Amino acid sequence: MLQLREVVAAYGPIVALHGVSLEVHEGSIVTVLGANGAGKSTTLRAISGLLRPESGIIEFEGRRVDRLSPEQIVSLGMSHIPEGRQLFSELTVLENLRLGAYSRFSGADGGGRLSQREDLSPLGRLQHYLFHAATGGIRDLARGVRGYRQRKQDFEAALRRVFDYFPILAERKSQVAGTLSGGEQQMLAISRGLMARPRLLLLDEPSMGLAPMVTREIFEIIETINRTQGVTILLVEQNANLALEIAHYGYVLETGRIALADTSENLRKNEAVQRSYLGQ
Amino acid sequence: MTEFWQQVVTGIATGSVYGLLALAMVLIYRSTSVLNFAQGEMAMLTTFVAWSVLQWGEYWVMFPLVLLIAAGMGAFIERVVIRPVEGAPVLNIIIVTLGLFAILNNVATWRWGGIPKGFPAPPEIQVTGVKFMGEGALDIGPTVVSYHDLTILVFAVSIMVALYLFFQYTPTGLAMRATAQNPVASRLMGIRVGRMLTVGWALSAAVGAVAGLLIAPLILLQPPMMMGVLLFAFAAAVLGGLDSPVGAVVGGLIIGVSENLVGTYTPKEWLGPDMKLTVTLLIIVVVLLIRPTGIFGRRTMRRV
Repeated sequence: MLQLREVVAAYGPIVALHGVSLEVHEGSIVTVLGANGAGKSTTLRAISGLLRPESGIIEFEGRRVDRLSPEQIVSLGMSHIPEGRQLFSELTVLENLRLGAYSRFSGADGGGRLSQREDLSPLGRLQHYLFHAATGGIRDLARGVRGYRQRKQDFEAALRRVFDYFPILAERKSQVAGTLSGGEQQMLAISRGLMARPRLLLLDEPSMGLAPMVTREIFEIIETINRTQGVTILLVEQNANLALEIAHYGYVLETGRIALADTSENLRKNEAVQRSYLGQ
Repeated sequence: MTEFWQQVVTGIATGSVYGLLALAMVLIYRSTSVLNFAQGEMAMLTTFVAWSVLQWGEYWVMFPLVLLIAAGMGAFIERVVIRPVEGAPVLNIIIVTLGLFAILNNVATWRWGGIPKGFPAPPEIQVTGVKFMGEGALDIGPTVVSYHDLTILVFAVSIMVALYLFFQYTPTGLAMRATAQNPVASRLMGIRVGRMLTVGWALSAAVGAVAGLLIAPLILLQPPMMMGVLLFAFAAAVLGGLDSPVGAVVGGLIIGVSENLVGTYTPKEWLGPDMKLTVTLLIIVVVLLIRPTGIFGRRTMRRV
């Protein structure tokens, strides 16, 4: 489903990923372990388009995505739940969830949207762009009117499912997101990601700053989401114990390189992993 | 007492115009943290365009047309002038808007000349025999309200309601609020942040254009006409809290009313009409001393 080949990514002159290759199969939970600064979050940022890789190939469902913008990538069916949650803290819970579904309702997946025509000459691309500017807005509007009821039902179904996983959010629906507790905020972040109905979920450190009990609850729900909805999950996590418990496969990242790749069972038995990440 | 209410009502009308222009500034400030000093000049230029359009067209044909032109101009300015300095220190962007101020002012003088022109108020509209706009005045209780003041009020209120509904209930409005708060997360939601900023500028320019069209009949149409208004609008925005649309409007009303009352009731010997600007600004300073973020300014509630 997702494939990275020799991905090199850098923040300015500082190279964070030195050729990372990994693969995520449909329906699985894959975890990326590693110490602080190993490049775990950078890997996710490269996949979701927030950081454009210097070189290498990223393919999602057979389609190259390493040159697309995050806006385009999310509408392909991939949600990135970033480190530190990045909620819209001054908006309400419901508004955050509405924004999560934005990519599904903005007509952003083709249709009235400007397609990138790399095959055209610069002049041809300019013509294409002008034509789009003249007609795209009208088409967007027509689609918007036509599909309104359909989209509304769609949205409400997604909302119900999210509230099934996290009933507390239904209670806090009109509360401002910044006033939620840490655990509730993480639940909201996951829910917001799910509202886009992704087939692949990129999860960055869902346990960060949370009490062990809350973390466990959240991990159980992540597993449920994978099992019942078939959402593929790529999980970046400091808490290797928990991550390996729910994951099927794992990668160990060390200073921007893949150091180990194996099934979670084998990784748990691996002495180096036990020593460095499982605290045994 | 009649005089008092009369002054209040007149103040509310001019205050609405300040509020509209302040609202235009707030719309931009909220999403980009840019204080657009060219806001008044953008409104002035569109009012000149309106004047030209009026040479061959009806008022109510001109009105939506000019709003569209204004929106287009706002979008163009964002794309061509502001976008390249995006990410530069805020002070640099402010200097750019000051440059824009001078350019627009000169363009207007060059194209339309510096001689003040009269600009018509919205013409009469009758709905089932009841007059809504046009010439003359209306008796309301002890006061007399000119139809134009009433028009200003109606426009200001409907724009505010429309903007509120837009930001609260439409996906685009929500996306714009999200963009203002957290651009990175917005991109992850699939929001095209750049486009939202363009829409914001277009919207702001259109709101400013309404302010220009409504104030022009009261003060003559000429290139420097919006300078005084901009000063009051700026003060209104600061008073209300720079990131609050409601605050901008309330601030505008407070300033409009207090400006009028100070001009009428303070003794001529030591204050009087000449000092009304000073007194109004003094009130603002006092309010800001008590509430540094303005009346409706954001007090962020956050649990980390």
